[in-house]
Amino acid sequence: MIMFIIRRLAVAIPTLLILCIVTFYLMHAAPGGPFNSERPLPASVMANINAKYGLDQPLHTQLYTYLVGVVTEFDFGPSYKFKDRTVNDIIAQGFPVTLTYGFWSFIVATVLGISLGVVAALKHNSIIDYFAVGISIGAQVLPNFVMAPLLVWLFTLTLGWLPGGGWNGGQFPYLVMPIIALSTSYMASISRLMRSSMLEVLNSNFIRTARAKGLPSRKIIFGHALKPALLPVVSYLGPAFVGMITGSVVIDTFFSTGGIGQAFVNSAFSRDYAVMMGITILVGTLTITFNMIVDILYAWIDPKVRL
Amino acid sequence: MTLQFKSLTAMLAATTMLAGPVLAAGTHPETGEALSDNQTFTYRLLDEHSSVDPGIAEDVSGAEVIRDLFEGLMNQDENGNLVPGVATGYTANEEKNVYTFTLRDNAKWSDGTPVTAGDFVYAWRRAASPELASPYAWYIELMSIENAAQIIAGEMTPDTLGVTAIDDHTLEVRLTASLPYFPLMTTHTTTFPVPAATIEAHGDQWTRPENIVSNGAYVLTEHVPQERSVRERNPMYWNNDATIIEKVVALVINDDDTALTRWKAGELDRTEIPTGQYPSLSQEYPGEALSFPRLCSYYYTFNLSEGGPEAFKDVRVRQALSYAIDRSVITDQVLQGGQIAAFTFTPGATANFTVPEVAFGKMTQDERNAAAVALLAEAGYGEGLEHGPLAFDMVFNTSEAHAQIATVMAQMWKQTLGLDVTQSNMEWQIFLEERGNQNFELARGAWCGDYNEASTFLDLVNSSSGYNDGKYNNAEVDALLAEAKTMEDPSANYTRIEEIMADEMPVIPIYHYAGNMMLNADIQNWPINNVEQNWYSRNLYRVDN
Repeated sequence: MIMFIIRRLAVAIPTLLILCIVTFYLMHAAPGGPFNSERPLPASVMANINAKYGLDQPLHTQLYTYLVGVVTEFDFGPSYKFKDRTVNDIIAQGFPVTLTYGFWSFIVATVLGISLGVVAALKHNSIIDYFAVGISIGAQVLPNFVMAPLLVWLFTLTLGWLPGGGWNGGQFPYLVMPIIALSTSYMASISRLMRSSMLEVLNSNFIRTARAKGLPSRKIIFGHALKPALLPVVSYLGPAFVGMITGSVVIDTFFSTGGIGQAFVNSAFSRDYAVMMGITILVGTLTITFNMIVDILYAWIDPKVRL
Repeated sequence: MTLQFKSLTAMLAATTMLAGPVLAAGTHPETGEALSDNQTFTYRLLDEHSSVDPGIAEDVSGAEVIRDLFEGLMNQDENGNLVPGVATGYTANEEKNVYTFTLRDNAKWSDGTPVTAGDFVYAWRRAASPELASPYAWYIELMSIENAAQIIAGEMTPDTLGVTAIDDHTLEVRLTASLPYFPLMTTHTTTFPVPAATIEAHGDQWTRPENIVSNGAYVLTEHVPQERSVRERNPMYWNNDATIIEKVVALVINDDDTALTRWKAGELDRTEIPTGQYPSLSQEYPGEALSFPRLCSYYYTFNLSEGGPEAFKDVRVRQALSYAIDRSVITDQVLQGGQIAAFTFTPGATANFTVPEVAFGKMTQDERNAAAVALLAEAGYGEGLEHGPLAFDMVFNTSEAHAQIATVMAQMWKQTLGLDVTQSNMEWQIFLEERGNQNFELARGAWCGDYNEASTFLDLVNSSSGYNDGKYNNAEVDALLAEAKTMEDPSANYTRIEEIMADEMPVIPIYHYAGNMMLNADIQNWPINNVEQNWYSRNLYRVDN
């Protein structure tokens, strides 16, 4: 197992490096720059700014300086747009927000999704099954940018129960709607995956054998069926988790949560190069890490992988 | 600051609010109205401000915060007139190129130290210095302060800037040109004083709530970027007794509709109105949906450069295209927010500017359409004519509202002149680059005045202006602009330039902007008549309706 992890790490570092280099050049290839605006700056002012941020250096020098800064001092550079903040500040401020609502959305989506899927599979072709399938399809087709304003309409304008947005340090009332909006479609996918895989397992020979042996249902389901049925779900959970904790523009836009999803997209529009790079590296690292964790989990659940 | 600490302060702030609302003065000292016990003003920011450092800030939302936190030499009243700020007054020499400001002796920084002429000298040198590399350094140059241009270009050191503290309360400014409107320019945030000691102690981080020292009516007490910033009454402010609003909260909400929803839920006192919703909102919330003229123009510019389309070099084609646009359809049916149809470049709301009665503005739309058809035929464009049918591409930056207007315009050209006009949209940065490099045929443009004077608009058609993307070049216009700079009353020159533009049509003016907002009826004294919308929280107050 340790060799397995080391091997994965050995691949991960060059992957990240390539990601950095490609992003950097692509970003600079896009027309415009962080200091372009409706009123072009006078050449002398622009020259001062470029000199201050080192943007007058050749691209490969800029990239080298950047990478050296990242590796030696963990310095991801300044934000060109928010003059008194560094990329580290921006990530330190936005990522915990995203992580909080992303994490809880993940828990909600996973717990509800798996339960719904299992129940639907066990009560196959019953009212409960149709109900569960109905919910998950409904949740799947309702995109979060439709869901978000509906939630605000219901909980804020009509019922007056929840604030219409904001973060306020992540207090509970501010978390509810972002979590519902973000978790719903993930929950739907998980429940459908879970249902079909559970059905398949329940129809397999070893379960039939277990039933024939006269094992109680509870034991069959939790002791024998659940673990193999989880396999396809687990492989979905890794990317889903990264997706949720690396931010959602929709959530940040509709609920003004101030998370990293919004910062990422805005940095692309305003050509805030260092912020864009910083968040790309963060998302890249998380993706690689969680794919690795999924692989390890896989090995734990499915002995065939370990062979 | 760690996250835990931040949420702790937020929680503390929330509990203090619950525990006991701050006691207000009771009644308004001048109007005698009963004031609300809750003197908090909460408003929406479209986007996080880039900085609250007066020397650096370049956006409107940053300037709004800075006008509360800091105070410059002069302020504006609710009509945009000049009123004293840190300076009690000023004198100028006869040539209007040396101004001497007298500073009040009771102005203080929030740490209790006095605000002196030296603070202004420090701030202005800093704003111009290549070391700070402020994107607004050009404003110091625009003010024509001696040596500003050379300092920005790195040819001279910042201490040679033409601004001197004669003593702690006397500031002398030397200009390279005679500028009658110079004092008006000192209401701009780039000219506000900054605290030297704090900046030297904390560097780039001096604007954070835990470090900042300011001289305005408010101090910054909380800032969660991309989410909220809070400013509270500054007891050291020289005119603190007159301040009524205790606390101002700015919430970043990117989406117009979300912000409106939260306004309806009572979470905000002020927000912008999404495009096209003004008529219904003004019915639903009479007195709270406001529309007022702004110093901004929306237009399309022809590419008149060497590489531009041959057809546009013919003035008759440009006139025909401009005439055929029925502006009232765009203002009354598409935008519906009180925008004003434009036949000139400069908005009528600009100070000391009377909109000239240009010929095509006086015609009815039917007359304009008929003239457009005739002009285009005369120029030889159309089926079976010398140059064949006219076709071109119009480009705008990606946005629902711009797309709507472009579609309406293209349709009008199709119906009236039978033209096939293609539309393209580009992401903002790409659009700026393409337009700036004259890679377009007809491009959208919009311009908001930097100060309340017609030259802020008309400079755009100066052949040497860096903002003249259409590369319009008219020696008479250039001469009139140069002359206007030193005239006591340049309005005749501005009128003449507008007349020339109406004849030559280098741009198609579409409409002059209107500001639209929802303002809680409890908030009083909003400066609706200040066309630059320079508002100061200390002039507002809250009543219970």
